[in-house]
Amino acid sequence: MSLQILINGLATGSIYALIATGFALIFNVLKFSNFSHGATMTAAAFTAFFLVSQKGMGLVPTLLAAGAAGACIALFGEFVGFRRILKNHSSATYFFVSSITLGTLYEGLVTIRVGSNFFNFPSFFETPTLDLGIIISTSDAIMFLISIAALLILGYIIQKTRLGRALRAVSFDRDTAQLMGIDSTRIIQLTFVISGVLAGFAGVFLGIKYTLYPTLGSLVVKGFIASVIGGLGSLPGAIIGAFLLGVVETGLLSVLGSGYSTIATFAIMLVFLLLRPQGIAGSNVQEKA
Amino acid sequence: MALVSNVLTQIFITLIAVAGVYVLTGLTGMFSLGQAAFMAIGAYASGLLVLRLHVPIPLAMLLAVVLAVAVGYLIGYPVVRLRRDYISLVTLGFGEAIAALLNRMTTLTGGASGLTGIPRTVGLGITAVSAAAALTLVALFKTSKYGRQCIALRGDELAAKAMGIDITRVKMIAFLISVALTSYSGCLYAFYMSYVDPTGFGWKRSADWVIMVFFGGVNSLTGSTLGALILSALPQMLRELLNFRYVIYAVLVLLIINFRPSGLLGEWELTPANLRALPGGIKRALSRKRRGAE
Amino acid sequence: MALLSVKDIHKSFGGVKAIQGFSLEAEPGEIHGIIGPNGAGKTTIFNAISGVYIPEQGSVTLNGVDITRLEQHKITRLGMGRTFQNIRLFKGLTVEENVMCAFDPQSRYGILGGLLPTPARRAEERRGRELCRHYLEVVGMKDYMGERPENLAYGMQRRIEIARALMCEPKILLLDEPAAGLNPTEVAGLMELIQRISKEIGFGILLIEHRLELVMNVSDLIHVQNFGKTIAVGTPEQVQHDPEVIEAYLGKED
Repeated sequence: MSLQILINGLATGSIYALIATGFALIFNVLKFSNFSHGATMTAAAFTAFFLVSQKGMGLVPTLLAAGAAGACIALFGEFVGFRRILKNHSSATYFFVSSITLGTLYEGLVTIRVGSNFFNFPSFFETPTLDLGIIISTSDAIMFLISIAALLILGYIIQKTRLGRALRAVSFDRDTAQLMGIDSTRIIQLTFVISGVLAGFAGVFLGIKYTLYPTLGSLVVKGFIASVIGGLGSLPGAIIGAFLLGVVETGLLSVLGSGYSTIATFAIMLVFLLLRPQGIAGSNVQEKA
Repeated sequence: MALVSNVLTQIFITLIAVAGVYVLTGLTGMFSLGQAAFMAIGAYASGLLVLRLHVPIPLAMLLAVVLAVAVGYLIGYPVVRLRRDYISLVTLGFGEAIAALLNRMTTLTGGASGLTGIPRTVGLGITAVSAAAALTLVALFKTSKYGRQCIALRGDELAAKAMGIDITRVKMIAFLISVALTSYSGCLYAFYMSYVDPTGFGWKRSADWVIMVFFGGVNSLTGSTLGALILSALPQMLRELLNFRYVIYAVLVLLIINFRPSGLLGEWELTPANLRALPGGIKRALSRKRRGAE
Repeated sequence: MALLSVKDIHKSFGGVKAIQGFSLEAEPGEIHGIIGPNGAGKTTIFNAISGVYIPEQGSVTLNGVDITRLEQHKITRLGMGRTFQNIRLFKGLTVEENVMCAFDPQSRYGILGGLLPTPARRAEERRGRELCRHYLEVVGMKDYMGERPENLAYGMQRRIEIARALMCEPKILLLDEPAAGLNPTEVAGLMELIQRISKEIGFGILLIEHRLELVMNVSDLIHVQNFGKTIAVGTPEQVQHDPEVIEAYLGKED
């Protein structure tokens, strides 16, 4: 495998890692798959596009706006979609339906606003490529660095702060955490906020890498696949899975072209599931016993 | 009249797919977000068999359903034994992969411009009979030992296993039946529309079906049918609101989830006994209306 | 060889040693009481015997078949029925359908019968319904067949759970705290039922309970567990006077 593919793969993988951690975080804390994550990315990226980028501001304000928008959307989702069913300890099926429905709602709203058009972020960088012995696109390099920084900050929050400890406690056992004086509703909201911010970043990056369009969110599948490979609910697993997926996919892409590489990646995931269903991290969350 | 017939035909085709989703989601509590991809497989495979290999249409449909079930088995095999999230995540990936494949295999599938020239042999009659047959089969399935085991494991997998239920096998059977029904609806779709293209088989359509099932009542086949009828008729009536369709759906379902989680009908099924048990007032009102209509 | 033979099983979760060497030999018609305070690992023993967990060490044989590593549903089909501490009847099914669920894995019709009213399906469904009626009669719940279990009293739900376990045609029946949450009258009736079915049907029963006085009268042999270890095995009289039991267990309860 050439170095070029490896570099490009890692760059793509870093975006997938943002998607996968945003998804895995919710799964980790609430034990359900949030299928509205993709549409949250799209909606946040579009919000930032219209409010900030179109007014000529640069990448950083755009990211901040997208992060904020993602956080708001996720909070809204938590409130209308999940608060009540969490409180009622409803069966997992309701979380599925709620998250699917929220996804449909966000995507529907975006479609009403923009139709089925494609949009391009203004080019944020003056020099499109960097020559560091091998050629790297500037946007890839910057996105890679920002993603890594975001993941490091997230890791720090979860591992080192009181907030992170509370989050892990709620993830381990919501009711007990509540008894120990942790406001689990607040922690859950916070989880959604973090996941929303990550979704916003990922949305902007996907928009830069490809284009902005209403069904951009279906790229969330990459994050899901990464999460499955890494081990559902494990954050380190999701990140490793994402980089692995990025590199493998870039490699396949150069050999097979776009359509077949999607099929090939999918087949690899199936085989992987067959051989190691608990994922790389080996965390296999059991259905409640 | 042609418009009514067109609307009805499309509703019946949807109904068959929704009957499949009811088996998977309503009875068994599993969610497939790539279900529409099986519809695509049914549509493309039957269409291609007729166009390229001149297979008789009924045989082509049968082969297409068999192919879809075989693919379903491959997808389902690693997944049904795992936590239920996996089937949703994996089928979602599968749906995207199928869409990519259909777009890419231009020489075979016509790529993005689609597969054209499929003989238009399916009409209102066949779809109506098929829908009735599909609903009957699913109703019979629900009251069979399989249906009971599905409902049992939906609520409590551990207790189900402790009663000797092979949950992996039962889940697989439910998944494959839903795949068979959905792919058959795809066959009808191809031979009714006379062309198929790769759009419209994405996760949105799969989500649509789940929403219909939940709207009417996830525990009731009658409710799911009603949900499918209402929600697929709605956009036809409000054509100018077509863009708002998904938003309206979503708001309706969010209301239902928050305030009436069992859906419109709850667990109520349309059976002679339940019909008799309906409060006399409603029944009288209904029969009065019926007489008025005649 | 004994009907059920459990040999020195061990199971731990992380650092917690939930079972440290549990052994038991049960014959048809015997009732074994397993007692111990909460957290003594009693339910874990049931879970390890019935295949929910695979023990790290030791073996379980049922009727001469090694079931230590067998899947849960296969163990059930070899002749093991169980009830749960917190009643686990199936929601969305009637009383009759709940009991039928335990017949369904034995029911002899295929997918075709699942979709069409074939003669085989009708015959098997009839056979199942008759068995259902029979077992519900045994536990005294025949008049509630069409009800939803969640609408019935706790004591009735327990009886339905027992009927459902009987439908598995067990050679060994595991009852996990069947008296939990019942009032004294219900408890008396339940204990009478347990003794009766044990003698009439003649299978072995393992009975978990944390109140010693409840299992005293029905058990042939009592195993006392504490912190994952068996601290005494014997007849109710022997156990009652065992100093270690009194100290470790009875002393703390009133």
